[in-house]
Amino acid sequence: MALLEAHDLTKTFRRPEKDPGLRGSFKHLFQRKYSTKTAVGGVDLSIEAGEAVAYVGPNGAGKSTTIKLLTGIVEPTSGEVRIGGLVPHRNRVANSRQIGVLFGQRTQLWWDLPVRESLALLRDMYDLSPDRFRAQLKRFDEVLGLDELLPVVARKLSLGQRMRADLACALLHDPRIVFLDEPTIGLDIAVKDRVREFLRQLKAEGTTIMLTTHDLGDIEDTCERIVIIDGGRVIYDGSLAQVKDRYARERRVHLQLGSELTVTELADRFPQATVTAGAEGRREFTIAFDKAELTAGAVLAGVAQIAEVLEVKIDEPAIEDVVRKVYAGELLLAEGSTP
Amino acid sequence: MVAETLFAVRRNARLYRRSLGAVVRAVLEYVADFWILIAAGIVTQSLGLVFLSVVMSRVPHLNGWSYPEMVLIYGLAGVSSGIVPVLSDGIWQLASFIHNGQLDYALTRPAPPLMQVMSAWVGFNGVGDLVASAAMLTWALTRVDVHWTPLNVLILLILMISGIALRLAMCVVANTVSFWLRMPMPMFAMTAWQVGELARYPLGIYGFGLRFLLGAAAPFAFAGFFPAAWLLDRGGYAWLGILTPVVAVLWWIFAVWLFRRGLRRYDSAGH
Repeated sequence: MALLEAHDLTKTFRRPEKDPGLRGSFKHLFQRKYSTKTAVGGVDLSIEAGEAVAYVGPNGAGKSTTIKLLTGIVEPTSGEVRIGGLVPHRNRVANSRQIGVLFGQRTQLWWDLPVRESLALLRDMYDLSPDRFRAQLKRFDEVLGLDELLPVVARKLSLGQRMRADLACALLHDPRIVFLDEPTIGLDIAVKDRVREFLRQLKAEGTTIMLTTHDLGDIEDTCERIVIIDGGRVIYDGSLAQVKDRYARERRVHLQLGSELTVTELADRFPQATVTAGAEGRREFTIAFDKAELTAGAVLAGVAQIAEVLEVKIDEPAIEDVVRKVYAGELLLAEGSTP
Repeated sequence: MVAETLFAVRRNARLYRRSLGAVVRAVLEYVADFWILIAAGIVTQSLGLVFLSVVMSRVPHLNGWSYPEMVLIYGLAGVSSGIVPVLSDGIWQLASFIHNGQLDYALTRPAPPLMQVMSAWVGFNGVGDLVASAAMLTWALTRVDVHWTPLNVLILLILMISGIALRLAMCVVANTVSFWLRMPMPMFAMTAWQVGELARYPLGIYGFGLRFLLGAAAPFAFAGFFPAAWLLDRGGYAWLGILTPVVAVLWWIFAVWLFRRGLRRYDSAGH
């Protein structure tokens, strides 16, 4: 059995329907009207131990709600979750020893206490021995530079420092599975790199990771599996490489030529491709094509026959472009795909 | 089974103490706040006593109770209500925790969520309340007409501890209602607390409605008046005082049950 199993997981919220303004609010006191909103609708998910899964989707797609359902914070309206055989919202205390949680938008540090004290309180809750605690702090210092943060009161931390300390809190007890909800939100490049390095290390150590993010740079070198959610439903679940392979097939070859050509001359040569002229008119072109139909090599060889090629640049789409198209509704991913 | 339960109780007691200790250190970051809050507690209690003294200087006996006896009831109730902010001031933040979705992390840690909420803050005004109330209690106990034996000292202590436990449970219940109300402020609990102030006087001075409210529906009287009546062996209320431990246990069972029901409704915030 997989480490995490979710079946038909659904959460609906009841929302008061009010007319705008004070009048509307008063009216609601006497005539109560509610509408239900489905935040998560029938999500099936199965995560094996050691997997790193990226959980992505546009704002309001139901990512955080899914995390809250999986971690037992919120009770599902219907459906089932099990982590290591435990139902999170029924066995909160037992479950909390096997999971680690980080919400990038919110800290779990005690606001008026130095970071060291927050970690010590968590040490007591998780029953860590003093030796184990010291070893963990040392480990976190190596990747997250934790030592310099230990004496600082939480409310004095910058966002990046806070996130590093929160990562230490989430992983202090060596959880089997860690849920990270936007762990790089609002961070600068340097801190982002540090967090990503930490994620890679966790993955290498065998920790199961479920990560939500809007920055797809976070997932490219950590996660081999991507789950895309929209409107509370999983619209894609499969390998990251496969998404790229199937939906990121467009290549763009940018050429700078030694002699002049026209767009039609090139377009006639490559009927499968789209040719556009660049800034320098007849000496600069971009040829876009599907890599299943044409190769960059064939394009170069073809052009070389009619003109001298000075410069070449080949663009590959990032996973980001694929997901952006999905969000925008330009791309419909095949449903029911499995890794 | 018994050993396991005992182990859990000891572990939670340690966590509770550690958690409160951490908050105390945090509050001590703001030294002025600390002293002002303690002074505020003492002033509040003393003002109440001044009011009582003014009334009692006009009427030497109120409903058959002498001035020292009135101070005994007043002090006893003050001790039990003064301990609530010291031990569980965090419970007053429950409404805002629910409203802002701040219970999320508490629900992912291996410690009871109710305990984490209660120990999230310490109200030093309670220390002031306690100091003033203990002073009144001491003054009154040396003046009331009681034949002291080791047994009634022991029972009085048990009744006082039960009264404190009862106040805590009632405070938890009143704040737990926030799971259903969804206001960011604990208005219901604040109202209930004000009602509790009425229980610092002999119950006999009130009409049937208030007597029923304070003695049965929201039995604040068990956290002061009934134990005092038992100690002084007064009127028809004396036997009720001895029931305080039972009432406290029942209210705690209700409080824990209600809090669990409330957590099932918890929706966090955002998506």
